[in-house]
Amino acid sequence: MDLQLSVVKGAKVLMVGAGGIGCELLKTLALSGFQDIHIIDMDTIEVSNLNRQFLFRQSHVGQSKSKVARDAVLKFRPHVSIKSYHANVKDPEFNVEFFKQFNVVLNGLDNLDARRHVNRLCLAANVPLVESGTTGFLGQVTVHVKGRTECYECQPKPAPKTYPVCTITSTPSKFVHCIVWAKDLLFAKLFGDKNQENDLNIRSSDGASSSENVVDVFERREGEDIDDYGRRIFDHVFGYNIELALSNEETWKNRNKPKPIYSKDVLSDELAQQNGNVVQDSATDDGLSVSAMSSLGMKNPQDIWSLSENSRIFFESLRLFFMKRGKEIGNLSFDKDDQLAVEFVTAAANIRAASFGIPLHSLFEAKGIAGNIVHAVATTNAIIAGLIVIEAIKVLKNDIKSYRMTYCLEHPTRKMLLMPVEPFEPNESCYVCSETPLLLEINTHRSKLKDFVERIVKAKLGMNLPIIMQGSNLLFEAGDDLDEDMIANYEANLEKVLAELPSPVTSGTMLTVEDLLQEFTCNINIKHREEFDEEKEPDGMLLSGWTQPVSASEKEKEDKSINNGANSSDVTVEAVEDETGVVAVGVKKRRISETSEVAANAAADETNHKQYQVIDDEDDLVVLDGNSDAGNKRKRMQ
Amino acid sequence: MAEPKVKYDRQLRIWGEQGQAALEKSSICLLNSGPTGSETLKNLVLGGIGSITVVDGSKVEEGDLGNNFMVDESSIGQSKAKCVCSFLQELNDAVKAKFIEEYPEELIETNPSFFSQFTLVVATQLVEDSMIKLDRICREANVILIFARSYGLAGFVRISFKEHTVIESKPEHFLDDLRLNNPWPELKSLAEGIELNVQDPVAHKHIPYVIILVKVADEWAKSHGGALPSTREEKREFKELIKARMRGQDEDNYKEAIEASFKVFSPQGISSDLQQIVNDSSAEVDSNSSDFWVLVAALKEFIANEGGGETPLEGSIPDMTSSTEQYVNLQNIYQKKAEADIVAIERRVRSILKKIGRDSNSIPRTTIKSFCKNSRKLKICRFRLIEDEFNSPNLPELQKYLTDEDFSTAVGIYILLRAVDRFAANYNSFPGQYESAMEEDIPRLKSTASGLLNDLGCNGATLAEDLINEMCRFGAAELHAVAALVGGIASQEIIKLITRQFVPMSGTFIFNGIDHKSQLLSL
Ligand SMILES: [Zn+2]
Repeated sequence: MDLQLSVVKGAKVLMVGAGGIGCELLKTLALSGFQDIHIIDMDTIEVSNLNRQFLFRQSHVGQSKSKVARDAVLKFRPHVSIKSYHANVKDPEFNVEFFKQFNVVLNGLDNLDARRHVNRLCLAANVPLVESGTTGFLGQVTVHVKGRTECYECQPKPAPKTYPVCTITSTPSKFVHCIVWAKDLLFAKLFGDKNQENDLNIRSSDGASSSENVVDVFERREGEDIDDYGRRIFDHVFGYNIELALSNEETWKNRNKPKPIYSKDVLSDELAQQNGNVVQDSATDDGLSVSAMSSLGMKNPQDIWSLSENSRIFFESLRLFFMKRGKEIGNLSFDKDDQLAVEFVTAAANIRAASFGIPLHSLFEAKGIAGNIVHAVATTNAIIAGLIVIEAIKVLKNDIKSYRMTYCLEHPTRKMLLMPVEPFEPNESCYVCSETPLLLEINTHRSKLKDFVERIVKAKLGMNLPIIMQGSNLLFEAGDDLDEDMIANYEANLEKVLAELPSPVTSGTMLTVEDLLQEFTCNINIKHREEFDEEKEPDGMLLSGWTQPVSASEKEKEDKSINNGANSSDVTVEAVEDETGVVAVGVKKRRISETSEVAANAAADETNHKQYQVIDDEDDLVVLDGNSDAGNKRKRMQ
Repeated sequence: MAEPKVKYDRQLRIWGEQGQAALEKSSICLLNSGPTGSETLKNLVLGGIGSITVVDGSKVEEGDLGNNFMVDESSIGQSKAKCVCSFLQELNDAVKAKFIEEYPEELIETNPSFFSQFTLVVATQLVEDSMIKLDRICREANVILIFARSYGLAGFVRISFKEHTVIESKPEHFLDDLRLNNPWPELKSLAEGIELNVQDPVAHKHIPYVIILVKVADEWAKSHGGALPSTREEKREFKELIKARMRGQDEDNYKEAIEASFKVFSPQGISSDLQQIVNDSSAEVDSNSSDFWVLVAALKEFIANEGGGETPLEGSIPDMTSSTEQYVNLQNIYQKKAEADIVAIERRVRSILKKIGRDSNSIPRTTIKSFCKNSRKLKICRFRLIEDEFNSPNLPELQKYLTDEDFSTAVGIYILLRAVDRFAANYNSFPGQYESAMEEDIPRLKSTASGLLNDLGCNGATLAEDLINEMCRFGAAELHAVAALVGGIASQEIIKLITRQFVPMSGTFIFNGIDHKSQLLSL
């Protein structure tokens, strides 16, 4: 059957991502008659990819995904032209000109940031985008054509969960708080960039008050024995720091007090011996295969270790980092596929949890929380890749009325496993694809330009190379082709509060922010506001103008424990990067099932009402009639 | 580190070690190794299925290279089963892969006992006659059967099995089991010991909402002859009652209580779905009953006796605003009750087992525990014999589908997939298979479909012309994109069936690639 073969044959396609969806997609494109495929992916292959990324084998671990995927498909289909780029899609070489050469762009990405970046480039280059994502048995395929359908960012994406700093540093009440502490504070402090700001207390008891020149206790001293160093760190973070916190009685008025833990309490004679007995060298000495669990003979990642076992893992993993991976210390960042890092973080989080009376967790569970691990299985990727190709062919045929966004459900809803929805019209107030200005409420006398760049321009607007202008005055510019005067000038601006900039930014000012690579500009109206709620608006500023995103931290009421006493800080520690970007599916899809579930439960309640037609008083239950489609609030594309 | 655990890390998080162990123990037989079949197996092999047997009598032809990734130019002329099998083996060496070079239709005729060795048979691209025969064989041997077919832009998946019972149905959203509408004595007395009007403002804003609701509900019941709010007006009043006790806007625990007050309004006792399960005749157990039904029998007794009309308590409580101490107390009281309920169920299970002449320890405690935790969510799936459905479909449903805009395309495809098999039996080719015969094939398919509809009792029903034309244009082609999707759906259902987690789809799944719509037809 000759299925639209000519449009397919002549098409030039860009695939972004060669992971779970990417492998399936590349194969399906090649077998659907596509002849000219380009594929970008910056990642290398991991063992945990092999349960679904079927173009990769054990022997490929560590190699470039895009390249191996290309070679694997070419081996079976040598006549297809596939060009691979082992690179970050955010690199400047992939500019608007680059994107313009393609007929359609297909995303199989695993993070929100890159998705937003590609969305903007597709808008700027006027190339249709087919976007996708999966998590577990859930998945989605959406289509975005400039001016015809909504863009990827027309609907706000949920913000990643954040926790108040005091919860992480002083008053954890859940295991996740301990994980964030172990990963973002302790691990980062010991093995990461020493110059990064860190909220861990670095003063030790002996040096605390004696001199101005504070010695960082986390520094390993000249010639210090590694086991002594480990014990010193242990005693500082699990012992001394807890004692210090306990001394602030106000904090513990309504809380269970934590229990300080010192190495002498957990280090038995047997342990001292254990450390001596550890196999010093093994044949497989390449960095990532080093494991404290294997050197201690612990096998099952699903076991929950005792306090003493956690302590042994703590010491052993710390030791192994210094003995086997010393070169990496100083520039390590936590990676969920780094076994030793996961072991260290699990152990540290568990010891802290034990101290605070929080239930301990297995390495398997801790890894899931620390890595924000997305459930992934081959089946969903196969389904989604099939849908992407069918959708891409419609896009190439310009068959606009047949475009669909499709949601793949875990449980059939109203007799459907795949739920197709007609794409929505662009959101008229979308700051990305329309020119609507945003509104920023900010304390112009307290917030620095730096805060604005970090928390709004980069974090909220997703820009990488921003230029900030007030009228024709340049306030800030990023990039590596600037001369020294300008750099100095911008550096100085960054440290100034908004109202004191050379061209002051005050209530009523309009700022223009532009990203040259994304060819994306947006205007922001500034409104001065004096006070912000530290819990709910931890950024100390509030961006609005297009539909306000549902902030996860607000919605979930993360910190339920009593919060008096502890000194709050206006910084927040970001828990976990949102990796899937599928949250969007989750949310959209859930809107449907949640309503039906709640409605169904309530239906039993209101026996005289038909199922799916229950409206509780005060609107805390939502109506869902038999015909309503997903997201019935939005306007359909005509 | 044990390497397989790392490899399966991402999926273990979906179905756990038990689910994975079930996959690794199972043996799957694939009939026909075209793209639909080979893609189905690929997904299972990657996930670590125990063993696969690929049955296909055909040789690889030039045309296969266009839609089947598992064969290449060097495979031409070789056994397709062999090529596909060796590709699959390369994906995961932990899987035992073998192939049989024989046509499935022949195997079905000549060696029906062959199929009884498998956990599950996945039959792809079979025509109606073979489907019916194979279904009878598998039903007899109690082997799970799943049909999958890709036909142009259309797809078909259908499970066939006598009875599939699920303890871990894992619904996405399910009301937590707090019993606020029917608190047991210990919860009541814990609530009684807590003073809502406590002076200390810190204490006041940290009373867990569970306690607030139990107390306010109790107060309500006392002044309403023991009844809880049921009318809209009463529910509003109830919420006002809680609101009135708030001392300030920052009392999150009271806000939570108002939000959760519907939990007080929900009816006591078990759901109608569960009622149906405990009333099922299979719950009258004998020595042939499965573990599941023995557990249901124990549950039934429990509900009628110590359960007081309720299932065993789940035992977990959600996060809520609370002082640590009160939260821990609350947690303990829920856990204790859950444990006591497990003990009660276990006692009943052991005695039932004894009564029906089985070893009273033959159902492990872990299973009983999991059963108790999931007892509100049990699911039973029964599938009709294909032959019964094909000969006498549920007529009112069929007629409804034919006239319902949402279903008409799906049911049209369903009918046409059967019609093309009849067509092929009559004309020795599928409609549109030869471009030159397209003109005459369209009316032929149309009349074949009408004939079929008449046979089914839908006299005079017709299908959309467009759909018939489209079906002819498909020319029985197996498109890779559709095959990948159908294979994805089929393998997903297989995982649900083998892990006995999640609820497999009921009825016939029809995918329509023209508008991405998929429907489940219950006929
Ligand atoms: Zn937009």
